[in-house]
Amino acid sequence: MKNRVLIALPKGRLYETGMELLGKAGIIIPPAAGGSRKLVFPDEEGRYEFVPLKPIDIPVYVESGTIDAGIVGSDVLRELEADVYEPVDLAIGICRMVLAAPSGAALPRGGSLRVATKYPRTTERYFRGKQLHVHIVKLDGSVEIAPLLGLADAIVDLVETGRTLRENGMHVVEDVARVSAKLIVNRTAMKMKSGDVRHLITQLDTVVYENPGQQN
Amino acid sequence: MDGNIVGLPAGYRDFMFEDAESRRHIENEFASVFSSAGFREVIPSAVEYLDLYARGNQGIRERAMRFLDRDDNLLALRADFTPAVARIVAAHIREMPRPIRLWYSGPVFRKTDRHRGQYQEFSQIGAELIGGDPPAADGEILDIALQSLSRSGFPDACVHVNHAGIFRGLVNSLGLKESELAEVRSAIDRKDMRALGVRMEELGVNGSVRAQVNTLSRTVGDSRSLAAVASSIGNEESRDALASLESLASRLPRWRDRITFDLTEIDEMEYYTGVMFTFLSPAHSVEVGRGGRYDSLMREFGVDLPAVGFSFSMDRLGECE
Repeated sequence: MKNRVLIALPKGRLYETGMELLGKAGIIIPPAAGGSRKLVFPDEEGRYEFVPLKPIDIPVYVESGTIDAGIVGSDVLRELEADVYEPVDLAIGICRMVLAAPSGAALPRGGSLRVATKYPRTTERYFRGKQLHVHIVKLDGSVEIAPLLGLADAIVDLVETGRTLRENGMHVVEDVARVSAKLIVNRTAMKMKSGDVRHLITQLDTVVYENPGQQN
Repeated sequence: MDGNIVGLPAGYRDFMFEDAESRRHIENEFASVFSSAGFREVIPSAVEYLDLYARGNQGIRERAMRFLDRDDNLLALRADFTPAVARIVAAHIREMPRPIRLWYSGPVFRKTDRHRGQYQEFSQIGAELIGGDPPAADGEILDIALQSLSRSGFPDACVHVNHAGIFRGLVNSLGLKESELAEVRSAIDRKDMRALGVRMEELGVNGSVRAQVNTLSRTVGDSRSLAAVASSIGNEESRDALASLESLASRLPRWRDRITFDLTEIDEMEYYTGVMFTFLSPAHSVEVGRGGRYDSLMREFGVDLPAVGFSFSMDRLGECE
């Protein structure tokens, strides 16, 4: 197992699209495998092995080299500041990370802005870049409710359609980052397992960029 | 802490019997290779002025464990050996006949991120050759590094070699501002070839230079791949650097099949001035050490001497044994 390239798949919103993209790249994961309770399963060719993990855990596994490669959203990747290669932007799971606030109320100026987010480091970096000091409240879910309940003045969170924001009486103040899924690769794996790792990179790159018609 | 006197603070550990013995064994093997090659041991102080780390080696200063002495001087636990060795040469042995051959072994301390399973104390063993010019000194140090790995239980150890001058030469012909260059460098470092291409085009880098950057960012192989790159590179600094890698390989026929030229790796490129090494153990799929030439570091200590060296992670070596 040490010599086969081990790839982390993100559970959740990227799981199905990620597997689909791998399939188009000729790396077919048997349908039963994904649904079974096995923790690690191979592709049809037996060239790679896959392990489904919570997205937030993937950068740590890949940075440490426990897992050679993975698919993960750039939101999670930037938040963890993992030292890994990012050879392919997979152009799936595209959304925006935004600063949003309740519609109709002016944002407090100066040092008193309270921002709720699942991404405290990204948020801190963003405001430091703008030379603004803010108070960050780290939450793990339903961030959009924090301003309603009075925990924060604004939020930094992902939006796809903006519907959740509107339903909670909020609007986008500005974009923080464009988010999309990336293929990430461990630095040592790129050197030690270069044949299979490069094959993976080339196949995915080709499917994403050279046959865009094949994408959904 | 709450009176827990048998516990350890987070990020630290003890090595018990077998682990201690295996580390001792590795260290002895290294020591014997080093001393028979004429390298002499130094034991640098475990405490330095924090300012030792202001120079060159980026990121280390921020991660050093710092504290104040009686007179409120800012001190740090040793966070890296190489600057300490440079200081020692400047302080004690400026007049020694060159080249000066030194080796060291011991713990270094660096702050790490919480809860990532990383230790804050780790052990390094390494050697430095100061006052020796490339390619002879580079060949000597690489030979010693591979010999010592081979002797201490890593007969299949191999090395990925690059040269800072290859990319530096190309960078100078990009004609970019420092902030733009940082973006280009970051895309190469992440190995994101698409983003790199797009960004260079946006920045108005001309097509021929873009093609050269792309070639470099893909080149991993033996001496033949160096020759292929050399024919496509337009600037003298890069071509000289490529030539010096070829000459390094030709000095080490014994290690020919252990050397891979990897021009894609630009990590720590600001620190090294010439050849750069990454040592790997294929059997364990891990990186065990790094090294390279850092001709500008000694100058910061008032001694203008070229230097080349390497350091291995004793923790990685010990885990693999």
